[in-house]
Amino acid sequence: MAGQPLLEIHDLSKRFAQRAGREPPPWVIQDLSFTVGEGEFLTIIGPSGSGKTTLLNMIAQIDSASGGSVRFQSQIAPIADPKALNPGLSCQIGYVTQEDNLLPWRTTLRNVLFPLEVQGRLNDETRAHAQMLIRAVGLAGFEDHYPHELSGGMRKRASLIRTLVYDPPVILMDEPFGALDAQTRAQLQEDLLRLWDLGRKTIVFVTHDIAEAIALGDRTLVLTRAPARIAGEHKITIPRPRDIRGIMTHSEFGPLYQRIRAELQ
Amino acid sequence: MTSQDTALELTQPSRLQRQYYAVIAGRIGLALLLLAAWKTGADRAGPVYVADPFQVIERIFVDTQSGVLLRHIYVTLRLSAMGFAIGCFFGVALPFLLRRMPRLTNAVEPYIMASVGVPKYALVPLFILWFGIDDAPKLWLVGLLVFYPIFIAVFAGIRNVDRRLINMARIVGASETKISREVIWNSLLPFFFAALKIALPRAVSAAIIGEFLVGNEGLGYMIEYSRQNFDTTGVFAGIVVATALVLVINAMLVEVDRRFNAWRPTERHMEL
Repeated sequence: MAGQPLLEIHDLSKRFAQRAGREPPPWVIQDLSFTVGEGEFLTIIGPSGSGKTTLLNMIAQIDSASGGSVRFQSQIAPIADPKALNPGLSCQIGYVTQEDNLLPWRTTLRNVLFPLEVQGRLNDETRAHAQMLIRAVGLAGFEDHYPHELSGGMRKRASLIRTLVYDPPVILMDEPFGALDAQTRAQLQEDLLRLWDLGRKTIVFVTHDIAEAIALGDRTLVLTRAPARIAGEHKITIPRPRDIRGIMTHSEFGPLYQRIRAELQ
Repeated sequence: MTSQDTALELTQPSRLQRQYYAVIAGRIGLALLLLAAWKTGADRAGPVYVADPFQVIERIFVDTQSGVLLRHIYVTLRLSAMGFAIGCFFGVALPFLLRRMPRLTNAVEPYIMASVGVPKYALVPLFILWFGIDDAPKLWLVGLLVFYPIFIAVFAGIRNVDRRLINMARIVGASETKISREVIWNSLLPFFFAALKIALPRAVSAAIIGEFLVGNEGLGYMIEYSRQNFDTTGVFAGIVVATALVLVINAMLVEVDRRFNAWRPTERHMEL
């Protein structure tokens, strides 16, 4: 499934800056290497505090690395120098964060249009695309609502399509559905898979939920506690389109779940 | 006001209306009571110390008809507006410039904060010495008094901007200019409006005090001139007009605030 690696993480390490008079801080991530193929849906699963968010922040270049490199296509990003960071790698890496980070003074529609607006790509065609996405995730009728007038699930949907709307080749997702109830969560997972099927973006999806990692991914990486290393790697061959709600009954699901749980111990 | 409104909405509409009228009646009653107290005080103390309220109203009416009062109001408002524009411009621009230079900010911050403590009115004699007796010393006074609350609020507002929103904007490709204009500016608008509620009345007060000291026009001049001529009614008329001006300006500000900050979940502003 994975073709040419689109994204290559090599020996990536991170420790936070030392504070005066304290011992050197421990490594959050140490010598982490993996690749992501074009069009691949990679899930990364790790216990909380294993540096998953830090990892994505470094790939998205909003945080600098203490060592190692990130290569996208043929460009190597100089991510060790905080001043040379290029957040989002010139709009090639989208990032759906744990919090929705919607701009509270913008309505749903204007939040979704925000990336197009700042990139100077707002025209009839992109506008129509945004409207299509809004309808696709069931936000039609809420275009003129402010974020505080939306439910948690709706805000998540808005933040998801805000990234999809400008079509970055790679999308990072940091437990985007973590804070939602089980029903909304399953609904959003279905929405995500449906949207992904339309475009087949490259996705790196971080979660602490084993079932979610299996249900969504083509492949899953299991991380250890900090300093994060790779404890296991599994191809998930459950055929698509997948039935999220019924996935636990698939014959591959049970054994895989047990193996990943064992690796997480 | 807000919590009261919410509580009222839960009760019957007729009761809500009754309570509303009761509040209005209470306000009118209070106004009449204050007027009566003023009148009694004036009668007891004599017109040299406390002007008769009805004579004050009459004076305002007469001076308005002759056009003298309107001229004074115009001069004071013009001075306040110009001084406000200058102070507001620097109060907003400086924190935005300092944002790009964190080291410079750390170096100058204690000096800026210390200069807050300088009594600005005490500087007027120096301003007169340096800038003459035209509008310039008064503009400096108004400008400085407006600058500080706005500078402090905008400075604090910029520091309070949610980093995650800035990161989001960077990732989707927003330029630094766009981030300043969109994310930072909108995040600090509530701070800015809170500062305006202090700065706008201050601008008028500072203009009036400036006029006490320099010049021969404006509400401050009118009050001071009346005082020198033992015309207590004129002093009171000036104060009443100045107060009315500030109230009108505040009412306009509340309206602008409401429109600009319609996205905010709750009405957090204090209505004056």
